[in-house]
Amino acid sequence: MKRTPFQMAFHRRMTAMEKTLLAIIVLYVGFVALRSATFLSAATFFDLARSGAAITILALGVLIVFVSGGIDVSFPAVAIVSGYSAVLISRALGVDNLMFITLSAITIGALLGSVNALLIHFYRLPTLIVTLGTASVFHGAMAILLGMKTYTRADVPKSMLDFGGARLFTLDINGSQVGLTVFVPVVVAVGVLTWFLLYRTRIGRSVYAMGSNEESASRIGMGLLKTRLFVYMYVGGLSGLAGIVYFSNLAYINPAALIGTELAVIAAVVIGGAKLTGGEGTILGTLLGVVLWQLFQNTLIHLGLDSSFNDLFFGGVLILILGFIYYRQRQANKRALVFAAS
Amino acid sequence: MTSSASPLLKARDLHISFGGIRALRGVDLEIGRGEIRCLAGENGSGKSTFTKIVSGVYSPDSGEIEFDGEPVTWHHPKDAVAAGIQVIYQDLSLFEHLTVGENIAINHMLQDRTPFVNRRRMRRIAREQLERVGVELDLDAPVSSLSMANRQIVAICRALSMDARLLFMDEPTTALTGREVGRLLNIVLELKRRGLSIVFISHKLDEVFRVADSISVFRDGLKVGDFTAAELDENALATHMTGREVRYERYHREQESAEPVLTVENLSRTGHFEDVSFALRPGDIVGLTGLLGSGRTEIALSLFGLNKPTGGAISIAGAPVKITAPWDAMKHGIALLPEDRQTQGLFGKQSIAVNASATMLDRILSKVRTLSRRKEVELADRVVSEMHVNNKRIETAVSNLSGGNQQKVVIGKWLFRNPRVFILDSPTVGIDIGSKAEIYEQIHRLAREGMAVLFISDEAEEIVANCNRVLVMHEGHVVQTFEEDDVAKDTFKDDLIAVISDPEAEEASAQAVPVGAGAGLPAAGITDAGIEAQK
Repeated sequence: MKRTPFQMAFHRRMTAMEKTLLAIIVLYVGFVALRSATFLSAATFFDLARSGAAITILALGVLIVFVSGGIDVSFPAVAIVSGYSAVLISRALGVDNLMFITLSAITIGALLGSVNALLIHFYRLPTLIVTLGTASVFHGAMAILLGMKTYTRADVPKSMLDFGGARLFTLDINGSQVGLTVFVPVVVAVGVLTWFLLYRTRIGRSVYAMGSNEESASRIGMGLLKTRLFVYMYVGGLSGLAGIVYFSNLAYINPAALIGTELAVIAAVVIGGAKLTGGEGTILGTLLGVVLWQLFQNTLIHLGLDSSFNDLFFGGVLILILGFIYYRQRQANKRALVFAAS
Repeated sequence: MTSSASPLLKARDLHISFGGIRALRGVDLEIGRGEIRCLAGENGSGKSTFTKIVSGVYSPDSGEIEFDGEPVTWHHPKDAVAAGIQVIYQDLSLFEHLTVGENIAINHMLQDRTPFVNRRRMRRIAREQLERVGVELDLDAPVSSLSMANRQIVAICRALSMDARLLFMDEPTTALTGREVGRLLNIVLELKRRGLSIVFISHKLDEVFRVADSISVFRDGLKVGDFTAAELDENALATHMTGREVRYERYHREQESAEPVLTVENLSRTGHFEDVSFALRPGDIVGLTGLLGSGRTEIALSLFGLNKPTGGAISIAGAPVKITAPWDAMKHGIALLPEDRQTQGLFGKQSIAVNASATMLDRILSKVRTLSRRKEVELADRVVSEMHVNNKRIETAVSNLSGGNQQKVVIGKWLFRNPRVFILDSPTVGIDIGSKAEIYEQIHRLAREGMAVLFISDEAEEIVANCNRVLVMHEGHVVQTFEEDDVAKDTFKDDLIAVISDPEAEEASAQAVPVGAGAGLPAAGITDAGIEAQK
C-alpha cells in the first residue's frame, strides 16, 4: 500500500471534503490573482491572517463540540462576555498585563462553558436549546451587571494594544511596511493543542466516542459528564482567548460585537466536513473552511465585488459541496441498499 | 465438558421486579467453565434481564450470584467487567467513527492511568486480539467501513481485550450471512476450546444448536429447564418457550384462477441477482428463501422500485410495467413490508392512527381535501380490529407496542389499499411465537381472499407453514423451485433445509436432494463433524 506524505503524518487519508475545499481555494486564489495584480502579495495574506485569527480559534472550539455530537451557538456570547469582563477586571485592578487579561478571559470562558455542560448533562436537553438559552442569558447578564459601554483606543489596556500591533517580522515592500501578526503563532498553538487533545489523549478519543454513540460510550464506563465538561469548557476557554484576540486586533472594545457571527463560524466548520450527527470532523477541514470564508470575506473587493457577495458565494459553495458529497454518499448507500439515515 | 469442576457462574433464586412487574421470579442457573450455553425464550421472558443482572446493570431484589466460587455483588457494570464478564449487545456498541484499533483497545485506554493515547500500545492490543480470533483487519480503517460480520469480530476482540472469562452474546448472528455465521461459530468454538464460557442469547436456534452444549429456556421470568441440543427439536422448544403446544396451520391454495397477477421474467440486477423468473397467482404464497445475502431482499426492493433492475421484465396481470419508484409499485397494487420495521416500516414516535393511515392519506380526505381526523380514526380502528392489535387505543405511540403488534400495524396499513401483490420481507423477525401464529393467520386469510403474497424468510419452519410454492436462492440465482406437489410431500421440510444449507450441492446436481437436516454451511469451513470433534 503506497502511503502519501499526508497519510504518514496524520495516519489517515484526506477526506473528500478536504480535497474539494483545497481545490476550490487554489482555483479561487488563482482566479483572483489573474484578475487583480495587487492580490497576490504579502500584504493581502498578512491581512487575512490578522483578521481571521479570532474566527479560526472559535472555529476550532466549535469543531470539538460538533465531534462530541453537539452544537454550540453560545460561543460568540461567551467570547464577548469573557473578553469584556477580563478587560473590566484589568481596568478595575489596574493590572495592565496581557497574560493576566488573557488568563482571566479563558477562565471566565471555561466557567461559562461548564454552565453549558452541566445544563446539557443534568437536564438531558438538546445542546442547541441549552446554548441558545445561555447565549442570551450570558450576554443579558453582562449587559445588566457590567453595562454596555464601549471603550475606544485610549481606554483599551495598553498591553492589548501592543499585542494587537505586534508583528513577528516586517517586510519593506515598495516603501510600505507590512508585517505578520503575532496572532499567527497563537492560532497555530491552538490548532496543535486541539489536534493533540483530540487525537492523542484519552479524553479526546472519548469525545469522538461520545459523538459516535453516546449509549455505547456509557456502556463501556466512559464518563459522559467528564467528557461534556471538557468539551464545553474547552470551547468556552477558546472563546475567551478569541475575545481577547478580537478586541486586541480592533483596538476597540464593543460589547455588542461578534454576536450574530455564530452561524457563519458554524457554516465554516460544517463545510470543513464536521457533521451535526457527531463523531466526524477534522482540524484540517475546519481550517480550510475558515480560510475559504475569510478569502471570500476579504478578497471579493479585488474582483470589484461588494463584500456582501461573500454570503451569497459562501452559502452557494456550502450547498454545492455538501450537496455533492452527500449525494455521492447516498448513491453509495443506495447501491449497498442501505436505507437508514446516515 | 467440565462437569466435575465447579461452575464458573452460579446464580441462585434471582428475583427482580420493575414497577410491580416481576421480571425474574426465582431463577437458578449455572454456567460451567468452557461451556457454550444458549438462553432461549420469548421477548420479555427474562433472559435479557438475567444477562443484565449478571453483568451488573441491574441489582437483583434478592438472590445470590457466585462467580468463580466466590459470592459477588456488583454495584456497577465495571465490577462485572473487572471480574471478567463481558456482554456484546445486539447493536455491538461500537464507535463507527473511530478506527478498528481504537475500538478494540478503547476499554484498555479507559483503564490506563495515563491521559495520553499510546498508539503503539493500542495497535499492539488490537493486533493481539485479532490474532487470537485469527482474523486480519486494517487497524486504521474506521469501523463504519466494515461489514456487519467484521464489526462483530471487532466487538468480540474488544470483549476479549478485557480478559473476559464469561462472554454474553446477544443475537450475534442476526445480521450475518450464512458464511459469516459459519466463521463466527468457528471463532466461538475456538474461544471455548481455550476455556472461555460463552452464553448465546438467540432466536435462531438452528445455528445455536450446532455449537451450544446446553440450552436454558426462559418463560415468564422463570427458567423452564436446561436441555441438551439432542433433547430438543424446534417444536419441543417452542412448546417450552410458550408453555403450550404451538402448531402452525399449513397453508393450501384454494383459489381457482390460474392467471398470474405478477410475472417476473429473467429479472437481473448486476451484482445482486440474475435471471430470476417466477409468477404469482391470486392466492399464492410463494416463499423466497436462501441465506442472507443470496439476493432475496434485493428482488423485493426491485419489485417495489427501490433497486433498479438492469435486465428482464415485470408484468402485472399480463401487462408489462416499469416500476421505478415506490409510488409506481403502489399504483400497480404492490405493497411491501420491509425487512426492518423499525427504520423502514414505522414512524416510531407517532401514534397507531398516524401509522395506519400513512399509506392511505388519499382515503381520509374531507370534502375540502384536508385530512379528516374522523376518517383517520375510523380507518385506524378498522386496522386495529381486523389485525387483532392488542392495544385498541389508537393514540398509543407504536414504539410502545410489542414487536408482534407493531408488525400487525405495518401489515394493516396496507390492507385497505387492497394490494394485489404483497411482498413480506422477513415478517416475523424478533416476534414471539404467539404473535407469529396470529400474523400467519392474517397472511393466510389475505391469500385466501385472493391476494398474491411473496414471502421472504430464512426460517424453514416459517416457509413450511405458510407457502404453497417456494424458490430457494443462492448467490443471486434461483437454485431450486418447489412446486405445490413438492411442498405437499412429507419430506418437504428436510428437503428445504438441505437446499438452503447446502445450495452449491444443489446447483451441481439439480435433483438428488440429500435428505436430512443439519448439513454443514457452504464453504464456511464448519461441518457438524468438525464441531463434534471440537466439542
